[in-house]
Amino acid sequence: MGSAANAGGAGLARAPRVVIQDATKQFGSKVALDGVSVEVTPGSFLVLLGPSGSGKTTLLRGLAGIERLTSGRIAIGDRVMDDGGRTHVAPEHRNLSMVFQDYSLWPHLTAVENVAFALKRLQLPKTEVQPRAQGLLDRVGLGGLGDRYPNQLSGGEQQRVALARALVANTGLLLFDEPLSNLDANLREELRIEISTLAREAGATSVYITHDQGEAFALGDAVGVLQRGRLVQYGTPEDVYYRPVNPFVARFTGLAGELDGEAEPGGAGPEAHAARVRLTSVEGAPVVGAASALGRSGTGRGKVLIRHTAARISAADASGSTIRGRVTDVAFRGRGYDHAIELVGEGRLVGVHDERRWSRGDHVGMSLDGTGCFFFPDDKVADDALT
Amino acid sequence: MSSPGPNREATALADEAIRPVGQFRRAAPGLLSLERVEAAVSAVRRSAGSIALWAVLAALLVVPIGAFLVQAVSPRLVGLGGPWFTLDNLAHALSGPTLRGLVDSLAVSSVTAVLCVAIGGSLAWGVHRTDLPGRRVWPVLVWALLLVPTFLTAEGWQYLLQPQGVLAQFGIDASGIYAVFFGPVGVVFVLTMSALPFAYVVVAASLLYLGPEFEEAARVHGAGPWQAIRIVIPILGPGLLSAGAIVFAETMSDFGVASTLAASAHFPVATYELFQAINNNPADFGLAAAVGWLLVASAAIPIAVQARALRGRTYAVASGRTRQATRIRLSPATRLVAFGATATLFSLALGAPLIGAFVASLLSGFGSEISVGAVTLDNYRAVLLGDTGLAQPLVFSTIMATLAAVVTIALGLPVARLLTNRSAGRVAKATDLVLLGSVALPGIVLAAGYIFAYNLPVFGAVGLNLYETAPLLVMGYVATALPGQTRLMVGPFSQLQDSLAHAARVHGSSALATWRRVMIPMLSRVLLWAAMLTFAKTLLELPVSQLLYPPGSPPVSVAINAYVAGYHYDVGTAMTVVALAEEFIVIVGALVLFALLAPRGWRRAIGPGT
Repeated sequence: MGSAANAGGAGLARAPRVVIQDATKQFGSKVALDGVSVEVTPGSFLVLLGPSGSGKTTLLRGLAGIERLTSGRIAIGDRVMDDGGRTHVAPEHRNLSMVFQDYSLWPHLTAVENVAFALKRLQLPKTEVQPRAQGLLDRVGLGGLGDRYPNQLSGGEQQRVALARALVANTGLLLFDEPLSNLDANLREELRIEISTLAREAGATSVYITHDQGEAFALGDAVGVLQRGRLVQYGTPEDVYYRPVNPFVARFTGLAGELDGEAEPGGAGPEAHAARVRLTSVEGAPVVGAASALGRSGTGRGKVLIRHTAARISAADASGSTIRGRVTDVAFRGRGYDHAIELVGEGRLVGVHDERRWSRGDHVGMSLDGTGCFFFPDDKVADDALT
Repeated sequence: MSSPGPNREATALADEAIRPVGQFRRAAPGLLSLERVEAAVSAVRRSAGSIALWAVLAALLVVPIGAFLVQAVSPRLVGLGGPWFTLDNLAHALSGPTLRGLVDSLAVSSVTAVLCVAIGGSLAWGVHRTDLPGRRVWPVLVWALLLVPTFLTAEGWQYLLQPQGVLAQFGIDASGIYAVFFGPVGVVFVLTMSALPFAYVVVAASLLYLGPEFEEAARVHGAGPWQAIRIVIPILGPGLLSAGAIVFAETMSDFGVASTLAASAHFPVATYELFQAINNNPADFGLAAAVGWLLVASAAIPIAVQARALRGRTYAVASGRTRQATRIRLSPATRLVAFGATATLFSLALGAPLIGAFVASLLSGFGSEISVGAVTLDNYRAVLLGDTGLAQPLVFSTIMATLAAVVTIALGLPVARLLTNRSAGRVAKATDLVLLGSVALPGIVLAAGYIFAYNLPVFGAVGLNLYETAPLLVMGYVATALPGQTRLMVGPFSQLQDSLAHAARVHGSSALATWRRVMIPMLSRVLLWAAMLTFAKTLLELPVSQLLYPPGSPPVSVAINAYVAGYHYDVGTAMTVVALAEEFIVIVGALVLFALLAPRGWRRAIGPGT
């Protein structure tokens, strides 16, 4: 287990362990990063997920050495890189590479020169530089475009050059600053797969930041969610998706809707946390089965947060359907249809998937799968408005 | 594992890979803990660059000008005898000939500002918004105009018009025009022609940001093309006012016309009175500094006018993505008239004085009252080949201008970087303030400040005797050029995304190597233009040259003026033509060399005004 299993490729890089302890960064009176601690074992892929202003960019720039911490510590491998501003190792001495959101290719250098630039640090003989840079361009599928200048390349091609530049020197640590956010949707998926494969082939430790939960879940061995400068949850993608620690994390990673509910304390013993939750605002006050977040969050009145995948549509009179509603919108998504459903009583669910098309105005039944429903009491919901 | 996820193996792996680390308690630092000392040392080391930069700016601008200006009100503060505080010098400056000079300067500058905005603004409009013929040529001529110093324009017109002048040699009686020209009218005329580029550039820039939507809206709602212009002129208000303000400040601080045409016509203006105060024996630095105060203060007048005119109104028109405005199609007759007017304008501004100097330089014995000369190259032979030492000022100025250009660029780069560094905060603001203040500072005040400050006993005591040396002259040139050149560089610098430099650092390039391999190549075209401009402006710079040149080594502007003042028009004019030709050759030569020799990628770099 650990890094060895992960480094599927030739294991070229000496992937370092990254340890961030209590990292804090203030800009004037504004706290951008508030005591974040995380450890990344060699060769793993960490995605930091958060909205703008959550501190993820500051954390990544701190790791790169572009920003200095106000306090806290960053160590890469066995070397302390930043120690609350007392020690600060320059970016060029941290043996890392980075893919930038705006590509940041140097406009006065051709694609192959841009890649070769990152090889200077290895002080290779001149005859090796060009073939190696060209080889990386081949690997990202741009073999024929080495002579082009950045402004002669499309956005996707530029980002591939940037990826080649980050990979060429086999630095142990790869940083990704929202590299896909400026690209079209179909290109994004294509390049995401390439980043995922190439980074793992290189055997490097990777830290990737994004505000897109789909990207985070698809890429990361683990995901860290940042909220207002704090790391509020770490874990596997599945952990974050099925066991969000607070309403913010649940909302930020995608919900079909939120319904009023009331949790009842369960019995004693190991099942104590598996309380029952009654949906109070919809007709018939049905009970949701073992809602994932129960017990962690207490009892009483609150909200049930529902994942898209937890809601299923059936005919209005089908057995097993616990709540009923009316279809107000339907969107063809290729692999099926997303529906918006106005519930009988109060509440609305959106993005409810089904393979068949239900028509606008149809009366339908619905069932909720407890593993995708999270109950949070009212006080917690109020503190955690999505920011 | 209780995870319901489909990929248990990956999940387990990640659980292993990522472990939250417990929150670390920060140790409470002692009052003078080792950490604090280390932090302080590291902070100083980090700001070493800014500190060095500020030391240079202090030596170049803040200290000499500050000391000079302070001694007008407090001679004792800078180690001279006398009172701690006095207003005598200011009172003296506000009476007699200096008062008259100041009033003249204010009047001349106001009229010039209005004329320049009207003429330069119309030209900018014609070039950018109509199909005026020759609209690719006129902007080039505007730049050329910027490179011809005012004293040469003034002298060129004098060669043409004066009795026994060029026109007289060809039997044309210009004495009527000369009588009018030789005085305030001529001063305003020459300054208007010289300051036109400033008004043009500012108005052209605001036109560029003014999208076509206001004109289009006016047209759609029934206004004709000319009515649409009347709608847009008020919207351009801030641009026109700042054009006027810049022309006003430029004209107030002009020394070239002041020391030639105005001086010989006995029309005193403020900068020449300041020069006189220092040039008299004994020099009256108190009076000179008081006039300096008044000159600097006068720059506040147009700013106040501007603020008052714009009070409470907003004219934000730049919308980020502005479409190219469509050009107004002029009727054939209007085109012809507009072309004729523009051609006449440039003939008067550039053609006539240059032709005046050029023809005069080809006439033997020009300026002497006895002979109407034949066409000859003797004057050039004397300047270029003669053993009379006439070539020496040209050589000296070329060296000085080259040094000034190199040093200005070397200093301008870090300063521009500092000004565009968003995290630099207060240091950047203070630097900006010093440089902005110095843009409006007349060269003559700067030069006077140098004489005063670098003659202070403090410098002699530490063995630093810079006065009347070439290094001080170079410093003066750099101080004159630096504020403007940094402003020129700041625009392109701010276009460079920070991430381009960060990308270089992250991929293994040191700070110095990042400058060499990324920043300088990307800015190479801007730097080339800045260097060329500094070279050209310094080669024929007058006020600093006049006050600071080392004895026995007059720069070319001083030499030309000396010959002209001594009625040696023949050599003076030839030297003028040679110096202008050198400017032209150096600029064109540098551009050609860059095109031929610079690496292919450098030519894609950010250029001036992109």
